[in-house]
Amino acid sequence: MISPREEAAGLYVHVPFCRSKCRYCGFYSVPAAGWDTGRVVGAMLRELNQYAGAAFRTAYVGGGSPTALPAEQLIALTRRIREQFAGIEEFTVECNPGQVESGLLSELRRAGVNRVSFGAQSFHPAELELLGRRHGVEDIRRSVGLARQAGFDNIGLDLIFAIPGSTLGDWQYSMEAAIDLGVEHVSAYSLSFESGTMFDAWRREGRLHRMDEELDRAMYEWAVERLEAAGLVQYEISNFARPGYECVHNLGYWENRPFAGVGPGAASYWHGCRTANDADIERYVAAVEGGVEIPREVQPVTDDDAVCETAVLNLRMRSGIDLAQFRRRTGHDAMRVFAGPIQRYRDLGFIEVTDKAVWLTRQALPIADSILCDFAALE
Amino acid sequence: MTEPMDIQHIRNFSIIAHIDHGKSTLADRMLELTGTITRREAKDQILDTMDIERERGITIKASAVTMRYEHAGETYMLNLIDTPGHTDFSYEVSRALTACEGALLVVDASQGIQAQTLANAYLATGSGAEILAVINKVDLQAAQPDIVAEEIEHVLGIRKNECFRISAKTGLGVKDLLDAVCALLPPPADRSDEPTRALIFDSHYDDYRGVICYVRVFSGSLKVRQKIRLMGEASAYQITELGKFRPDMKPVDQLGTGEVGYVIANIRSLGDVRIGDTITDDARPAPDALQGYKPPLQMVFSDFYPGNNTEYPRLRAAFDKLALNDASFSFVPQNSPALGFGFRCGFLGLLHMEIIQERLERENDIDVVQTAPTVSYEILLHDGTVKKIDSPSELPDRSMIEEIREPFVRLEIITSTDTIGGIMKLAEARRCRLVKTDYLSTTRVMLEYRAPLAEIVYDFYDQIKGISHGYATMDYEFCGYEAGDLVKIDILVNHTPVEALSLVVHRSNAEARGRKLIIKLRRAIPRHQFEIPLQVAIGGKIIARETIKAYRKDVTAKLYGGDITRKMKVLKKQKEGKKRMKSVGSVQIPQEAFMSILDTSD
Repeated sequence: MISPREEAAGLYVHVPFCRSKCRYCGFYSVPAAGWDTGRVVGAMLRELNQYAGAAFRTAYVGGGSPTALPAEQLIALTRRIREQFAGIEEFTVECNPGQVESGLLSELRRAGVNRVSFGAQSFHPAELELLGRRHGVEDIRRSVGLARQAGFDNIGLDLIFAIPGSTLGDWQYSMEAAIDLGVEHVSAYSLSFESGTMFDAWRREGRLHRMDEELDRAMYEWAVERLEAAGLVQYEISNFARPGYECVHNLGYWENRPFAGVGPGAASYWHGCRTANDADIERYVAAVEGGVEIPREVQPVTDDDAVCETAVLNLRMRSGIDLAQFRRRTGHDAMRVFAGPIQRYRDLGFIEVTDKAVWLTRQALPIADSILCDFAALE
Repeated sequence: MTEPMDIQHIRNFSIIAHIDHGKSTLADRMLELTGTITRREAKDQILDTMDIERERGITIKASAVTMRYEHAGETYMLNLIDTPGHTDFSYEVSRALTACEGALLVVDASQGIQAQTLANAYLATGSGAEILAVINKVDLQAAQPDIVAEEIEHVLGIRKNECFRISAKTGLGVKDLLDAVCALLPPPADRSDEPTRALIFDSHYDDYRGVICYVRVFSGSLKVRQKIRLMGEASAYQITELGKFRPDMKPVDQLGTGEVGYVIANIRSLGDVRIGDTITDDARPAPDALQGYKPPLQMVFSDFYPGNNTEYPRLRAAFDKLALNDASFSFVPQNSPALGFGFRCGFLGLLHMEIIQERLERENDIDVVQTAPTVSYEILLHDGTVKKIDSPSELPDRSMIEEIREPFVRLEIITSTDTIGGIMKLAEARRCRLVKTDYLSTTRVMLEYRAPLAEIVYDFYDQIKGISHGYATMDYEFCGYEAGDLVKIDILVNHTPVEALSLVVHRSNAEARGRKLIIKLRRAIPRHQFEIPLQVAIGGKIIARETIKAYRKDVTAKLYGGDITRKMKVLKKQKEGKKRMKSVGSVQIPQEAFMSILDTSD
C-alpha cells in the first residue's frame, strides 16, 4: 500500500448546503436557510487541521453547492485551504451559475482557486425547470463571462442529457451553446435516477420515464464526436477537455490515488481505508467542536479489493489501465489477474491491449458497467 | 431370544403407507405393545428420529427391529423392516419388501387411498408379499372408515370386512393387528440346509465399527467368525459381530434362515457394499445370488455442470459422497462442447432428482447449472440394432434411424370428481392415453393412463396439483418402450448448437413447440453486450428465429470519490448474477433457461 505521503493526493471539501434541492440530485445536501453555516464551515476548518502535513496536489470544493454559502465564508474556506497546503496545483470550486458575482469570483481567484466548474446542466429553460434548477440560461453565459473576467483560464461546464422528454435536437442545442462559450472542460452526464431523489419517486409513480436506450446512446455518441471535433477530447466516460485541461483532481479518483474528504458526509480513501464522515450536520459539528472523533463509516479495503477497484476505476479513463502504474499501486499484474475478462472482451472488440496499457474501446463505453462488473471481483 | 427360533414362528413384515398416513406411529405402538420399548422411550425416540431424519434424510431408528410377541400361547419373533427414510421411493420400498413375507398397507381413514398407496400395494403384490389392509386414524372426527374400506375392496380387491381398523395413536386395534400378523402372514420358507444366502437390504456407516449391513437370511445361516463373500463384489470378509435390533444393537452368535439382523465384518467403506447384494459363505458359496430384488431403474437424466469450471473436482467429490448412501443415483463424466465438463446423472424419478439436487446445494455450496431432465430412448437402427440413449444429444444421425422408442408409464391419478375435466384435458395435451376411469366413491375418482414419461417429467405434477387445488395425487410406473413419430429439436444460440437445450418431441407439435421454446429462451437469457440470434432447427432445417437485443446503454455516468464503495458493490452483484450461468461461447445462459425448455405453458 502506498502511503498518501508518498504520492500526490487529493483534498475534497464537501459543502453540504444548497439554496434548494434539485430533483435529480442524489448528493448529500440540505437547504442553507436555517443553518448557522459559519459554524459548520468553522468545524470543517478544524477537521482540515487533521491533515496538516499531507502533500495535497489538488483541492476540490464541491457539494451541495459551495456558492450557497455566504461569499465571505466560501472565501475564508478557500483561503485557509490554500494557506495550509501550499503544494496544491489545481484548485477547483464548483459554482452554481445563478449564485456568482464578479466580486466572489475575483476573490476566489485571489485566494488561489484556479479552476471553476459550473453546473449548467441545460440551455433549455423548460429542462432547467424540470430538473429543479433555480438558475436561467442567461445565468450560465453571464457566469462564464464573469469567470473569464476574474482571470479563470480553466472553466468547466456540467451538462445533463437523456432528460425525460428531450430530443436529440434539444441535446444538440445545449451542447452547441456550451461549445460556443469556449470552455476548457465539459462533463456530459446521462441522467440517472438516484434513489431518494424526487425524480426517482416520480419514475416509480409513472410520472417520469427513463429515456429509451437507443436515444440515450445516440445522444452520448453524438456528444463524444461533437466535443472531439470542437477540440474537447474524451478522457473519461463522461468527461472531455482541451488537452492539458483534464481535471487532475478527478483523475486522482480514477487512478485510485488517496484522497481526504472534509465536511459532513465526505468520503475519504486514506491509508488504504475508505471512510465516510457522518452526514448528519449536527452530529458532525458536535464531534468536531467536542474534539472527539467524527463518526465515520469505515470500509477496509483488502488487497483484492484494491486490485479490483483500481482496475474498474482505471478502465473508466480512455487511457485505461497503465500496466506499470497498476503493478506499482497493487503489486499485481493486471494482465494476469484479469486474464479471463481481458481475453473475452478483447475477442468481442470491447478491450484493446498493448504492452503498456489495457483500455475500453469506444463502443464499449456506453455499456461499460456490463464489462466492468467482470473486473469488480476476482474470478 | 438368544436361542435360534423355529422358522414357523418368525414373521418378517413391512409397513407401507402414503406420507403422513401413520406408518411411524404404528411402528412405535407395536414396539410398545410387544414390550420392545416403553411408552416413554417411544416418545423420546420419535422426537429424536424426526430430528435426525430431517437432518440426514434417512431413518436411523429401527430400520429393522426384532420384537417378541405372545400369540395363542406361543412366542413369535416379529421382524419389522422399515422402509428407510423417504417413503416416496418405490425402489426403497421394494428393497424392504424383498426381505419380507408380508406387508401392512396403511390407509388414513380420513383421506382414503392415495396414488402412493396404490403404487405401494402393487409393489407388495409384485414381490409376493401377503398384504394386510389397515385403516388408521379411525378415532379422528373426519374418519370415514366404511368409505375407505369400500375403496380398498374396490381398488385392491381386499374384502372390506378384512380391513383392520385401528388408531395407531391411541393403540386401538393394534393388538388385534399383531395377532393377525402372527396368524395370517406366512412364515419364511425353510431353507436352512441350503448354502448361506443373506440379502443386504440396507447399510449404514458407523465411525467406530465401520459398515453395518442390514440383512435378511434366506437360506443357511450366518455365524460369528464365519468367512463370508459378497457375491456382487467377489470380495471376502470375516464376520466380527452379528446381532439384532431390539431396537438397540444386541449381539447374537448366529442368524438363522428367516431371521433379520445386522452383520459387521470389517468393511471399511459404504462404497464396498452394494445394497441388494447377497452374502454367502466363502468356503461353501451358493451357486446363485438371490433373485427377486428389483434393481433401481433410472428413468430420468439430467446434466450437472459446475457454474465455474474450476469447481469440477468439488462437484465430483460431492457426487461421490451422495452416491455412497444412495445406490439408485448414478453419475458419469460428461464433456459438452458447449458447456464444458460436467456429469450426466441418472435418477429414479423427478422427486429423487429434486432430493439429490437439494442435498447437493445444501451440503456442498457449489454453484451448479442443471440441464432440463430428459428420459432415455431406445433407437432402432436400420441395421436392426437397438441403441439406448439417455440424452437427445446422443441421437444418431437421422439417416441411420429406423424408429425412436420412448418410455411409457402406467400413470395413476386420484382426484376429486369435480376436477376430473381439467385433469383429463391436461393429460390429453400431454399425449396420455386413458386406460380406465374408476370411481372410488361418489366424490373420488382414479384415472389410469398410459403416458409418455417425457411428457410428465417436468411440470405435470405441479399442474395437476394446481388444477385440483392440491387434492390430486399421482404415481407412475415404467411399463415399456413404445415407438413414436418423434423428432429432435435443436437450438442454436449465437449460431452455436447447444445440445443441452435439445429436445425430442412428437412431430405433430414439434414446430409449435420449437417456436414457443425460443420465445421462452429469449425471455430467460439476459441481454448481452451484443445481439444474440436464437434459432430452432428440426431435422437440420432452421424453422424459426428470435433475437435477444444487445444492451445499448449500461454505464454509470458519475463515479467520483464518494461513489466508489457503493458502485463496487453494485458491480460485484452484477457479476454474481452471472455466476449461476453457463457460458456457451461468449453467451451466458442462466439456469432457468435450461429448465424453461420444458415449460409448455404460454
